[in-house]
Amino acid sequence: MTIGGVVQALREGVGEALPEPEVRVRTVGVAKPREIEELWVDLGREALPSAVDALLKLAPVHFSVISGRDAGEEIELLYHLAVGYGTEGGEVLLTLRLMLPKGDLWAPSLCGLIPGAETTEREKREFLGVEFAGLPDTRNLFLPEDMTAHPWRQDDEETAGLVRRTVKWEERDGDT
Amino acid sequence: METRKQVYQIPVGPVHPALKENLRFVFDVEGERIRNVDVNPGFVHRGIEYMGMRRNLIQVLYLAERICGICSISHPIVLTQAVEQAAGIEVPPRAQYIRVIVSELERIHSHLLWAGVAAHELGFDTLLHLSWKVRERVMDILEELTGNRVDYAIPMFGGVRRDITPEQHPKLFEMIRYYRGLFEELSDTFLRDASVEARTRNVGVLTAEEAHELCAVGPVARASGLRKDVRQDWPYLVYGDYEISALTPEDYGVAVHGDVYDRIIVRLLEVAQSLDLIEQCLRDMPEGEITSIPKIPALLAQLKKAEGEGIGRHEAPRGEVIHYVRLEAGVEGPVVWKVKAPTYSNLMPWRPMFRDQEIADIPIIAASIDPCMCCMDRVHVVRKGTREEMAKEDLLRLSWEKTRRVCG
Repeated sequence: MTIGGVVQALREGVGEALPEPEVRVRTVGVAKPREIEELWVDLGREALPSAVDALLKLAPVHFSVISGRDAGEEIELLYHLAVGYGTEGGEVLLTLRLMLPKGDLWAPSLCGLIPGAETTEREKREFLGVEFAGLPDTRNLFLPEDMTAHPWRQDDEETAGLVRRTVKWEERDGDT
Repeated sequence: METRKQVYQIPVGPVHPALKENLRFVFDVEGERIRNVDVNPGFVHRGIEYMGMRRNLIQVLYLAERICGICSISHPIVLTQAVEQAAGIEVPPRAQYIRVIVSELERIHSHLLWAGVAAHELGFDTLLHLSWKVRERVMDILEELTGNRVDYAIPMFGGVRRDITPEQHPKLFEMIRYYRGLFEELSDTFLRDASVEARTRNVGVLTAEEAHELCAVGPVARASGLRKDVRQDWPYLVYGDYEISALTPEDYGVAVHGDVYDRIIVRLLEVAQSLDLIEQCLRDMPEGEITSIPKIPALLAQLKKAEGEGIGRHEAPRGEVIHYVRLEAGVEGPVVWKVKAPTYSNLMPWRPMFRDQEIADIPIIAASIDPCMCCMDRVHVVRKGTREEMAKEDLLRLSWEKTRRVCG
């Protein structure tokens, strides 16, 4: 798989709305050095399913995980996908970036396209409070069943209180 | 009663999930058949990413090493890759070879450890003792090279912390010869043993399609016939120089079944593959520096100034590990640190593996993905609408009884 092929598939899936993708290059190898390119693409959440659908039609896609962070007024989600496994050096690492406003915090679920997305979507739901439209199972996965806090949110008072109590209990200087 | 007895005697092999970690399964069973499973992890969730985001990067590196005792080089290797990309730090060639050599030693010890656990769960404790006895050789080498049997503290941002000296080379070559000499014996005891085959063939089947859709990784994906291996697909360090091939049961000359037996084949083949890689790396490794920034205060200062994001990936013994980091200038630690371990990707594939299997097979199927955060400490079996609890000792007993039945 090549960077060009992945960009073309994304263009076909998303249409003209696709912003210019960023290509990052790293050099690997010692005896036979080569340049490995990876793609970083900003997407609107509405365009996510059609973009992923286009990739699935192009080549075998491995969906690794979603990374996320609280960026103040917005939540950033990064979908790490590897397109085209199965051949030597044939995989393109692709990161799709979504910015979601905290006031309207949802993203479309990819479980209909890639059933294996369920674990990571459930994790983002509990840790960042992002709702995934179409996620079949919305129970907490890693956190206790009754925990309502979202530990990776900067504005989460429940987690902050939990940490303060733990630090006090351990009677040592906390770092939060 | 009679029907239940017949179902109970189907000769498929149970193995044991006592991997000393916590995970809860809720099975729906009909008679002795599992109809559905719900996996509840999180009992050993330590909030490591949360902790990491409040520490400086060098502390995070040591924390990463403690994500998993078995994969204790995989996580640091991935974190260093991600941070080196974000901060633009070069890694000297010799350090890249050393990282690969230690990674492959880890793969050997991890697969042999798994083989022993699997044998124990099947009730073949002689095989457990054999596997773990021969595993000691690679543990001794790891101790010789790094000073530790686990948590090797080898990778550092910009290189590695210890060199491999010329005096150590003969010991490594001798270890390679030792394991090559054992390969036939291990293949015989695991793959050409009727009892092992009876208890693992067609047990916990994951088809290639399911493995693909559920994003399975590592030996689990390869045993289902997917040629998926980060070392092959996405070259990093010096793996690209050697043009690694993902190994499936076809490389052993048999058809792919995607069952527990195939997962044994793949892991055994990978031990041999790792030996070849270590040998090649030792021969090709150039002389030179092992780190580009030897002074830790200088390294910390550079990391504090760094701004950017990076991804690291590695094929750990159990499958793909990926880390994402985001660094901001003036902040000592990562602003974002996301860790994805192999078992995370292999949670979903458990569902089709368990479907329509027997209760006595739960231990071996659970263990067959080599779970990193899992032990059947508490299994809740929903039977006739009521909930019973089965401790792992009960499951182990069921598993052993089945071996005796199957093997007469």
